[in-house]
Amino acid sequence: MSDYLHIKDIHKDFSGLQVLTGVDFKVVEKERHAVIGPNGAGKTTLFNIISGKFKASSGAILFKGEDLSGKPPHMLNRYGLSRSFQITNVFSELSVFENILTGVRSRYGLRYNFFKRPDHNKDFREKTEAIIEEVGLKDVGDLPASALSYGQQRALEIGITLSTEPELILLDEPTAGMTREETGQAISLIDRVTADRTLIIIEHDMDVVFSLADTISVLHYGKILASDTPDEIRNDQRVKDAYLGEE
Amino acid sequence: MKLKTNSYIVIIVLFLLGAVMPLVLRRYNLFMLTEIIIFALYAVSYNLLLGYAGLLSFGHAMFFGLGAFVAAVSIIHIPGLTLLSAVIISLVITTITGFLIGGLLLRHKGAYFALLTMAFNALFYAVATKWHSVTGGDDGLSISRPEMDLGFASLSVSSVSSFYYLILIVVGASIVFCWYFTHTAMGKTVLLMRENEERMKFLGYNTNISRLILFTFTGAIAGLAGAFYTLHFQFVSISAISIDMTTAVLLMVFVGGTRTFWGPILGAFVYIIFQNYLSDITDRWPLFMGLIFVFMVLYVPGGLSQTIVSIRQWFSGRTGTQDNGPAKAEET
Repeated sequence: MSDYLHIKDIHKDFSGLQVLTGVDFKVVEKERHAVIGPNGAGKTTLFNIISGKFKASSGAILFKGEDLSGKPPHMLNRYGLSRSFQITNVFSELSVFENILTGVRSRYGLRYNFFKRPDHNKDFREKTEAIIEEVGLKDVGDLPASALSYGQQRALEIGITLSTEPELILLDEPTAGMTREETGQAISLIDRVTADRTLIIIEHDMDVVFSLADTISVLHYGKILASDTPDEIRNDQRVKDAYLGEE
Repeated sequence: MKLKTNSYIVIIVLFLLGAVMPLVLRRYNLFMLTEIIIFALYAVSYNLLLGYAGLLSFGHAMFFGLGAFVAAVSIIHIPGLTLLSAVIISLVITTITGFLIGGLLLRHKGAYFALLTMAFNALFYAVATKWHSVTGGDDGLSISRPEMDLGFASLSVSSVSSFYYLILIVVGASIVFCWYFTHTAMGKTVLLMRENEERMKFLGYNTNISRLILFTFTGAIAGLAGAFYTLHFQFVSISAISIDMTTAVLLMVFVGGTRTFWGPILGAFVYIIFQNYLSDITDRWPLFMGLIFVFMVLYVPGGLSQTIVSIRQWFSGRTGTQDNGPAKAEET
């Protein structure tokens, strides 16, 4: 049986600068997998490769046995991958409803139709409303995204990521820039919406990592140092050295 | 829901107003109104590119001119061709051309896109000028307007008022379809891509294909306007495919404003009326049009439509209704 997701020996260099030098780890279906590592370890680069924004210099991304490396983002989305962005990346002039609807209709193939109006589809409207409620933005559904508070915009970011009904969700520092209280709410939100789905999350905040993750992979100088359960990682001497060496 | 009903009421009222115009207007003015409706379609098609998709093209006249020439050439060379068939031939050829050129351009954005469209326009213009045997070169082509074949009967559209009614219905309906298009999945996709193309990619949209589809569509609509332009004047010259015709549509759209759907229609109205009266007074009318353009870009960057929206908001603010809903929704 093939693995659910196997990030296989990924190398990436930017005109000579080696950022990733053989990243290799596996993600089990329906687990929550955190990727941590010191600043500059290559987490975001790795994320951009998995989500199709960058092409890897070499290596493979095997998703249910199929190599997805080098496929453009819009194709990956149709395989059931969806990512969020560290810097909020929403449609700021449009309402929360329209933001979410855009993903919902894409999921059901209503992308380029010249005659059908997406807002006239009852099914899409209901699915959109359900996601808005799920991420706690019901009261502000008609407001433009730019009018939301920072915490609400982060919730919308997650809502958009969910809107194409992905089975594999990639979250890039979902709690970056949040207050303690907002972070707490974000954790429970992520916990709720990723039930029954596979999650890969990049996060700096160790509270978030240890309260969510089933497995943690530590990225250090372009390689995976360790990939194990939170308890094992906590006690791993190499991980301690890597983090202490940083400071 | 209220807004939608309002829009449909406005459309019906405009058509009814249009229908009584031949009873009110003198022949000369009715002729000019026909021209305005044709140019309104051309301006609307351009604004779908510029205002909705944020693509600045300097080559829209290649489609307008191609549509105009294809209509003229096919009427001249195919005996017994009906009016509608000539229009359909134009539409098909401009669609194919739009698709081929769009395919070459679709990876380019911003200044590269603008310059490449301008280069293609120049190419089309050069061909139209040199290919004398087909296009008539500098002399242009004269045609006589064919009859309409409705299947059961032939209808003459040789009079100013009967041709006006044809334009009001067919071109008017095309404009309404363009308006409807801005609310459809594809229309929204285009708008969302302008807002945030990267996010659209990660939501499963092929943005290159979307741009190609839009480019082809707007080219076809411009070609349709071009075909009716030929039928209206019963003449086509190389000016129809020149950069001047691109400048004209740019001016209409900027004067009217890119932020509303109806702005370019208003722009076409103002442009054609100014052009007609100014060209009666002086041969140097393009100079004055240029000055108006400079003035609009410097002092009224949102165009006339934006000014109207602002005034309306100001009034509704004063009367205390605070009903900003419709004005705001019209902006997209």
